[in-house]
Amino acid sequence: MLFPTVEFAIFFPVVLALSWLLMPRQKLWKPYIIIASYVFYAAANPKFCLLLAGITLGNQAAAKLIAAAGTERRRKWITGVAVGLDLALLGVFKYYAFFVQDWADLLDSFHLGAPLPLLTIALPIGVSFFTFQAITYVVDVKRGDAEPASTTDVAIYLSFFPHLVAGPIVRASEFLPQLKAPRDPNKVAVGAGLALVGLGVIKKVLIADYLARVLVDPVFAVPQAYAAPDALLAAYGYAVQIYCDFSGYTDIAIGLALLMGFIFPQNFNRPYRATGFRDFWRRWHMTLSRFLRDYLYIPLGGSRGSRLFTYRNLMITMILGGLWHGAAWTFVLWGAFQGAALVTEHALDGRVGRRTPVWLRWFLTFNLVTFAWILFRSQNLGLFWDYLGRFFVSGPATLYTLPVLLAIIVVIGMQLLPERPMERLQVRLEQLNPALLAVMLAATILVVGATVPSQGVPPFIYFQF
Amino acid sequence: MSRFDREGVRHFTARQSVLAVAIVAAILLVLSGGSILSAADEEKPGVEKDLLHAVGKPGSTLADNPLGRASAKLTSNLSPDEKLDPSQSFAQTGTGAVTAGQIPPVTPSYFDPVELDDKAPPRQPLESLLVTGDSLSQPLDAELARRLTPEGIEVTRDAHVGTGISNASLADWGQLSAAQVAEHHPDAVVVFIGANEGYPMPGPDGKDVACCSPEWAAIYANRARQVITNYRQGEKAKVYWLTVPLPRDPARQRIASVVNQAVAVAAQPWRSQVRIVDTDEYFAPEGTYSDSIPVDGKDQIVRESDGIHLNDLGSSVLADHLLDRIDLDFTR
Repeated sequence: MLFPTVEFAIFFPVVLALSWLLMPRQKLWKPYIIIASYVFYAAANPKFCLLLAGITLGNQAAAKLIAAAGTERRRKWITGVAVGLDLALLGVFKYYAFFVQDWADLLDSFHLGAPLPLLTIALPIGVSFFTFQAITYVVDVKRGDAEPASTTDVAIYLSFFPHLVAGPIVRASEFLPQLKAPRDPNKVAVGAGLALVGLGVIKKVLIADYLARVLVDPVFAVPQAYAAPDALLAAYGYAVQIYCDFSGYTDIAIGLALLMGFIFPQNFNRPYRATGFRDFWRRWHMTLSRFLRDYLYIPLGGSRGSRLFTYRNLMITMILGGLWHGAAWTFVLWGAFQGAALVTEHALDGRVGRRTPVWLRWFLTFNLVTFAWILFRSQNLGLFWDYLGRFFVSGPATLYTLPVLLAIIVVIGMQLLPERPMERLQVRLEQLNPALLAVMLAATILVVGATVPSQGVPPFIYFQF
Repeated sequence: MSRFDREGVRHFTARQSVLAVAIVAAILLVLSGGSILSAADEEKPGVEKDLLHAVGKPGSTLADNPLGRASAKLTSNLSPDEKLDPSQSFAQTGTGAVTAGQIPPVTPSYFDPVELDDKAPPRQPLESLLVTGDSLSQPLDAELARRLTPEGIEVTRDAHVGTGISNASLADWGQLSAAQVAEHHPDAVVVFIGANEGYPMPGPDGKDVACCSPEWAAIYANRARQVITNYRQGEKAKVYWLTVPLPRDPARQRIASVVNQAVAVAAQPWRSQVRIVDTDEYFAPEGTYSDSIPVDGKDQIVRESDGIHLNDLGSSVLADHLLDRIDLDFTR
């Protein structure tokens, strides 16, 4: 079920009202919210509910075993097996077709047959997100950052519909404590919730989908049909599209959770005002960044060693982070590019970094990030090279329309404005009377909804990851 | 700590939360309740459709008020959809029931001169190509555009994802095909559609006919014939209609088979102008579904994981075969 759809507009008010009605009676509320979340998930494909339930039960069993284990060695061993199984499951669903084809091609070059059947496996929506959340639960329990929770609470944590399909990746230690007692019915950030839902709808439907339709999709599908000016515009257009699409989803998810009394971590913080790649990753998909940092980079050794050791860890972390986005060499290379940029930044730190003006650091970072998005968006490496080739082809600018230019300039420009006044503006909006905000949200949905083509709202980009 | 935990964030009550969301829902219902019924029409028969209908019917009645009409009027210009000619809709053209006792004449266009060992008509230069259909037509459309654009051929890609000939509520292909040719006047049209078929369609008596009886096939064939007629633009354009590749799901196989048979019947009167390209010849030559087929001498995956669509490689394979077929009719 997509957030900005008629189906969800019927689902959510009913679920919200019943949720608050049952909230004081936790024995009723907990099974209720699990059922509601599974209904939400089943709308995509009922069969995948079994996978979600399996991951829940498997990781809960592991957490209980870890808590009961007498020795650190045993705890480590159980955690390793649980995380390994989670990753194996993710690997089968997400990467089987990718690796089996490459593996078969390699064996074929030695005239050996394919050892595994060449099959495609349907990717369960959200699997990358709830698998990672399951890993944080098991690891947090092992580290002592979280207590093993009841199976019901773990089921809620992994299936809670606002974050189920595309995050933000909420840690067990952040979410499970919120289930210990009923949410306070007198402490609901209604204004913030409504404002975020409205903002998310505008970002996704009005900006991201519009740019995709009129600019990004045509150019990336057939770069051969466009010259340098259009290729350049589409690259910036995609930078804006992916930001609005994903942060729009996150805004809606966080907003819905707030209306239900739950708090999710922030996932975006004006990423295009970053003045370096470290800064960028502290602002872009923040919950993935900290997952990679805390559950991969630091366990690999982090920066506790020689420079080369740190660089190796950075590269491994970012390449795997790239691969997390999808089974394609473009994602692997995108991750490698991010890793190389971080390594370069690390190497230049102190010497060049401090002497470079802030505006130049911003300019370089923004344009390199945008360049990397071309790799991220390209269907395959061949098309990536085709796309780059268009930068050297002169020709007319055919896609420069006022709405397109406005969308790109406004979204990037808003991120460059001073933070304080923008925050104050947002807080003021959130403090308005909820009834007034509700009318404003309804008007926003009506206007934005009228811009949706008859084919409906396309899925969020991150649903495929 | 999240900023929503900090002091300074204004908190309200759960009651206000529910009330605010109820206000949003109520306003949407009063001003745009009809969209629920539209969403229901787009669903296949099932629980979800029934639920949407149950909410949509009163919603539609509620929205039929001066405010609702004013809101619809105010926002109507924001739609990115092109304006379509209502006279071309399937509802206007009817189900195409043949008048009893009338025997439709067989004309020379029923025959392909090449298949009769007659002289092939001279090949014309291909200057413009329209590639259209539902999601099946992607990424084939991009593959064709990437190959033909550098040759100076204007390729228009116009996929309408989620649509089907049997479901006119989302997109009426009678209207859509008329609008497409009016705008682009293509020399050739590639049609690849059929991933979302199987919806009930109104029969000659106005009652819905469920898939996939001969009656349903006949209605489908009549609709497809109307679409083909539009794409043909008289004698001006060639049409390449790609059959639905055998899907993995047995229930879908049945629908695909009926759709393919209906299209073959629909195209009969214009054998030399409308080419039915049998995709199963390439992707399921033995009549069974497979994710992979031999490509360049080795087995390679050509289908998407949904068991319906072709992946990039599959589309590339299909583009090879399709261009071979197009080259028999056109020069480039």
